[in-house]
Amino acid sequence: MQFDTPATTNPIDQLKVVGKPIHRIDGELKTTGRAMYAYEWRDPNTRYAYGYPVGSAIAKGQITAIDSAAAKKAPGVLAVVTTLDVGNLQKGKLNTAKLFGGSEIQHYHQAVAVVVAETFEQARAAAAMIKVDYAPQKGAFDLRAELATAQSPDPSTEPDSSSGDFQAAFSTAEVTLDAEYTTPDQSHAMMEPHASIAAWNGEEVTIWTSSQMIDWWRTDLATTLGVDKEKVHLMSPFIGGGFGGKLFLRADAVLAAFAAKTVGRPVKVALPRTMISNNTTHRPATIQRIRIGADRDGRITAIGHESWSGDLAGGGPETAVMQTRLLYAGENRMTAMKLATLDLPEGNAMRAPGEAPGLMALEIAVDEIAEKLGMDPIEFRIKNDTQVDPENPERPFSHRDLVGCLKLGAEKFGWDKRASAGSRREGKLMIGMGVAAAFRNNLVMPSGARVKLDKEGIVTVETDMTDIGTGSYTIVAQTTAEMMGVGIDKVAVQLGDSRFPVSAGSGGQFGANSATSGVYAACVKLREAVASKLGFNSKDVIFENEEVRSGNRAVGLAVAAGPDGLVGEDTMEWGDLTKTHQQSTFGGHFVEVGVDIATGETRIRRMLAVCAAGRILNPITARSQVIGAMTMGVGGALSEELAVDTRHGFFVNHDLAGYEVPVHADIPHQEVIFMDETDPYSSPMKAKGVGELGLCGVSAAIANAIYNATGVRVRHYPITLDKLIGELPDVA
Amino acid sequence: MTVQIRSSIRFLLNHRLVELSAVSAVQTLLDFLRLDRNLRGTKEGCAEGDCGACTVLVGRLLEGRLKYESVNACIRFVGSLDGCHVVTVDSLAQPGGPLHPVQQAMVETHASQCGFCTPGFVMSLYGLWMENPKPSVAEIEKALQGNLCRCTGYAAIIRAAEAVSVIGDLDRDPLIAERATIIQKLESLKDGKRVEIGEGSERFLLPASVDDLAEIYVAEPKARIVAGSTDVGLWVTKFMRDIAPVVHLSHLDELRRIVVDETGITFGAGVSYTESFPLISKHFPQLTELWNRIGGQQVRNMGTIGGNIANGSPIGDTPPALIALGASVVLRLGKKRRTVLLEDFFIEYGKQDRQPGEFVEAVKIPFLPENALYAVYKITKRLDEDISAVCGAFRLTVDGAGTVTDAVIAYGGMAGTPKRASHAESALTGTAWTEASTEAAMEALAQDYTPLTDWRASADYRLLVAKNLLRRFYLETKGDEPVRLDRKQAV
Ligand SMILES: Cc1cc2nc3c(=O)[nH]c(=O)nc-3n(C[C@H](O)[C@H](O)[C@H](O)COP(=O)(O)OP(=O)(O)OC[C@H]3O[C@@H](n4cnc5c(N)ncnc54)[C@H](O)[C@@H]3O)c2cc1C
Ligand code: FES
Ligand code: FES
Repeated sequence: MQFDTPATTNPIDQLKVVGKPIHRIDGELKTTGRAMYAYEWRDPNTRYAYGYPVGSAIAKGQITAIDSAAAKKAPGVLAVVTTLDVGNLQKGKLNTAKLFGGSEIQHYHQAVAVVVAETFEQARAAAAMIKVDYAPQKGAFDLRAELATAQSPDPSTEPDSSSGDFQAAFSTAEVTLDAEYTTPDQSHAMMEPHASIAAWNGEEVTIWTSSQMIDWWRTDLATTLGVDKEKVHLMSPFIGGGFGGKLFLRADAVLAAFAAKTVGRPVKVALPRTMISNNTTHRPATIQRIRIGADRDGRITAIGHESWSGDLAGGGPETAVMQTRLLYAGENRMTAMKLATLDLPEGNAMRAPGEAPGLMALEIAVDEIAEKLGMDPIEFRIKNDTQVDPENPERPFSHRDLVGCLKLGAEKFGWDKRASAGSRREGKLMIGMGVAAAFRNNLVMPSGARVKLDKEGIVTVETDMTDIGTGSYTIVAQTTAEMMGVGIDKVAVQLGDSRFPVSAGSGGQFGANSATSGVYAACVKLREAVASKLGFNSKDVIFENEEVRSGNRAVGLAVAAGPDGLVGEDTMEWGDLTKTHQQSTFGGHFVEVGVDIATGETRIRRMLAVCAAGRILNPITARSQVIGAMTMGVGGALSEELAVDTRHGFFVNHDLAGYEVPVHADIPHQEVIFMDETDPYSSPMKAKGVGELGLCGVSAAIANAIYNATGVRVRHYPITLDKLIGELPDVA
Repeated sequence: MTVQIRSSIRFLLNHRLVELSAVSAVQTLLDFLRLDRNLRGTKEGCAEGDCGACTVLVGRLLEGRLKYESVNACIRFVGSLDGCHVVTVDSLAQPGGPLHPVQQAMVETHASQCGFCTPGFVMSLYGLWMENPKPSVAEIEKALQGNLCRCTGYAAIIRAAEAVSVIGDLDRDPLIAERATIIQKLESLKDGKRVEIGEGSERFLLPASVDDLAEIYVAEPKARIVAGSTDVGLWVTKFMRDIAPVVHLSHLDELRRIVVDETGITFGAGVSYTESFPLISKHFPQLTELWNRIGGQQVRNMGTIGGNIANGSPIGDTPPALIALGASVVLRLGKKRRTVLLEDFFIEYGKQDRQPGEFVEAVKIPFLPENALYAVYKITKRLDEDISAVCGAFRLTVDGAGTVTDAVIAYGGMAGTPKRASHAESALTGTAWTEASTEAAMEALAQDYTPLTDWRASADYRLLVAKNLLRRFYLETKGDEPVRLDRKQAV
């Protein structure tokens, strides 16, 4: 199916199942521990061997020799496969760093060997015996030190944009702001470590793994193994969180495949937690400069956003300026990105890549200029709202209600009680409120599904879509139930298997809208098949109460299916509505904090997000996404930072003890409100993503609240007490 | 003394008795469950005690009473489970049967997204429910400190905890209803024998008694004593160290004794943070918060004060607090005992006053004199589940005239060992307890310490905070308002 004209009324609009607060259908599996994650797959007749990975101890250079003699002799060891043994391998298209093979080291903890043994303990013990000799080379690890060498990245990433005359407008603006902001390297820190099991059957390999994008992995794994893609079968039915960390093929799958081939037995490999931050990808640090010029009435006349980030050679920039091209009006504009070559682990997508760190900076800048203008920051944002793409004014937003989100949020949050900076006290606590806009584009991806109706009247959906905790199982079931006129208990959902039609996968907040649209398309096919089998005119058939009706004829779905059942399969493809219309999601984040005047400790007191994200397919799962994202934003604002050792080139705090994600006690009362809206330009579902929107802007709202509480402006994340304490008023 | 030797360990795993004779010293409970027993409900998120995905309950008989506690299976060695009852998430509901009330509550409040943390939360909440069926939010947060969730944002999980008692009836829970039978089974496993299993890097022992421990350790002074394994567990899972032979002590009831007399409290070396908490918070209310902020609940259920001291880390939390109290350790070598002031026990980084074959048998904490002022502050980046950047402990005696007659100040995180601040102490002693003398003592701290810069904190920050903590102590003893962020205010 091709979606190229805005949706009109369709069966989803019945909203009998879609849009209802239905509990996740996999809740029971998860609370009982029966949901099967990658490392847990088990065929009772197979004896699995265990692989333990060894990571590089240098960040850049060459391996000159690997001595695995002692490890090979250790008890229980079946094999040691080293990066030298396998030689240079073809890198998959989507990774920047190579995952395994050859003597070149591109980053710390790059996989250099896997030790395979009968038991996990034996493999781990023997892994400690591997000796690797390196010829290290000097690397670049410090983004700030490399600023001067940063280059304009590949033009395909559209690093620069401009319209009007920014320089002239900025230099003559009545009120200006010119400030630098920094965001640190961040880690996805999902709870399930990367893990894979590989089992070969002749030339074919089956991999159980933890992947957000089945087809991307399958393609890249086939390339790296040098086999035909058809020979690779990938399964990922449950994923213990990803946040972008499992978008692209990872080393555990490659190591497991080589190890299994070598020992002639299925092998399990998990990345130890301590290897994850340096072996896999992370959200790269940025240095951002923002300039805003405005007239005295508070209208933006010039807005400029530049961002510097680093990556391995061949990598890309963190696209932190993207939202600035679209979020606020203003005639004269420029954005630019520069990329430095760094020999740190690969920088790549983490939840809301680009917008998350971009808004961390932009939304502080907006707070600052509003203050300079003596304006309320909400009023300033409303004044500079735009209903068209400011760089291409002939291109409208499909639907944009940022103003509605901010107004409603202000009312619900009690924004009118906000005092001037540094003026509200409760005992030794300084209290402040902050606001920020949330913004994230709505992306769409082709997505396929197969829907089968059987003689019991059960509808089974098969798609390689993944559920990384987002609720895909549930919303796919809801969509199917709505389309086929059955209860959700009559729908079975099977996900995460490369034998199923290729879907959008989970990423870029495109998963829910795209994948359910693919299911919609397949259901349309199945409806046609049912109608045509019954000789109904497919235009006026109604699917309801497990029946299909046309005029005064009604046939039960089970009967219609017949003994052989019926199948519908299709892929949703997208026309150019995302080009003719800018499709984005919007929100307002509101935060109240208390800051201890003596120690600078910040505690968050309340949070509210108001989101405008098209139709909400399931308010329970959507709300849960936004709340989880707000929580991640608290970490981003206050504690999360991968500390770089700029001498040796690695992330020092590479575990959950050192990389501090929020815990219970950090999280206060959180509320989410969804605007009641639909966006017919987005898809037949009229939905857009919410999974990343919830993170966009939160950290800036916290930073702004801290400023409002203390009068101290911190522009460098995370806002730890050492950055505040020197500036706080005296404790008297 | 002749002891009898058994060459297997025995424990209950869910509903079954398990007897193992081929088990390695370094095998963790988590790997045993997941890889050997195919009980895959319990998850591994970190293998170092930080995330709680691996939480299971361990029931243990202590003086006839059976108590279940949440523990981190990832850093708990199988060898330590002799005589225990291990309860895993897999046993809570049968396929097709009803969910356990805790699981039902988690489903109904939508407390799970990716689900990877969920079994761990279920077990922590189960443990809480059994001890405290109607917990307050603060008690729930305390029970869940050691469980991380990256997806849900926690609020739904708190609501689940509150809903459990509405959904379920504790009296009908199998671990309550069948308690007498379980106790009987566990009693029958006790035979007073020493356990010895394995060879080389796999070898471990469970002494039959403290005397037996003393004997074993003199004979094998290179053996590694393991108490709660919250430090040693990580040496294996994270640093891949060879620790054999291992000598466990957590099963020895004698080392879990607590004696209170008129001079103070003596904790056996095997007493966990959780076991010591009621007496600590009663007699030293100033330590309540510190105790509540050591690790998470699972770590506190396993970890011991003795281990915290013997580990000798400069950032262990109890040493500064106990040094300021004038605590001492009872060291035992063979049949000989000696008592050493805790401050003298720490010699330099990585070195303590402990002879080969000598172990910590008990920790003695004297009560505070009536007029003493005492406080401990732990400074971390994240409030809960975090390691101190700086930990400061202060005890002052001020006479009727307002003069400081005695000052003891100790910090962790400021030097290679937990260390007293002698310059600051003498700056205070004999002077009036005023802002001026506080400031003089703050300045003197620069002579006491040259802290390190690491990623937790810079040297400058450490020194500044060390000074400010002294000021905070002054303000708190003078004013009536606490100069710190209160959990209750913030949430
Ligand atoms: C997630 C996590 C969080 C933590 N948070 C904190 C924290 O906030 N604050 C803090 O201070 N610590 C923390 N720790 C560290 C640890 O919990 C403590 O140091 C604990 O007190 C160690 O006690 P244990 O019984 O587990 O010791 P073990 O790990 O069993 O042993 C530690 C060391 O002491 C030796 N030892 C133990 N008992 C004796 C004895 N009786 N005689 C001689 N030697 C002995 C062992 O041989 C070993 O060298 C944390 C650990 C984890 C895993
Ligand atoms: S696996 Fe993370 S605490 Fe055990
Ligand atoms: S649900 Fe994913 S970590 Fe908690």
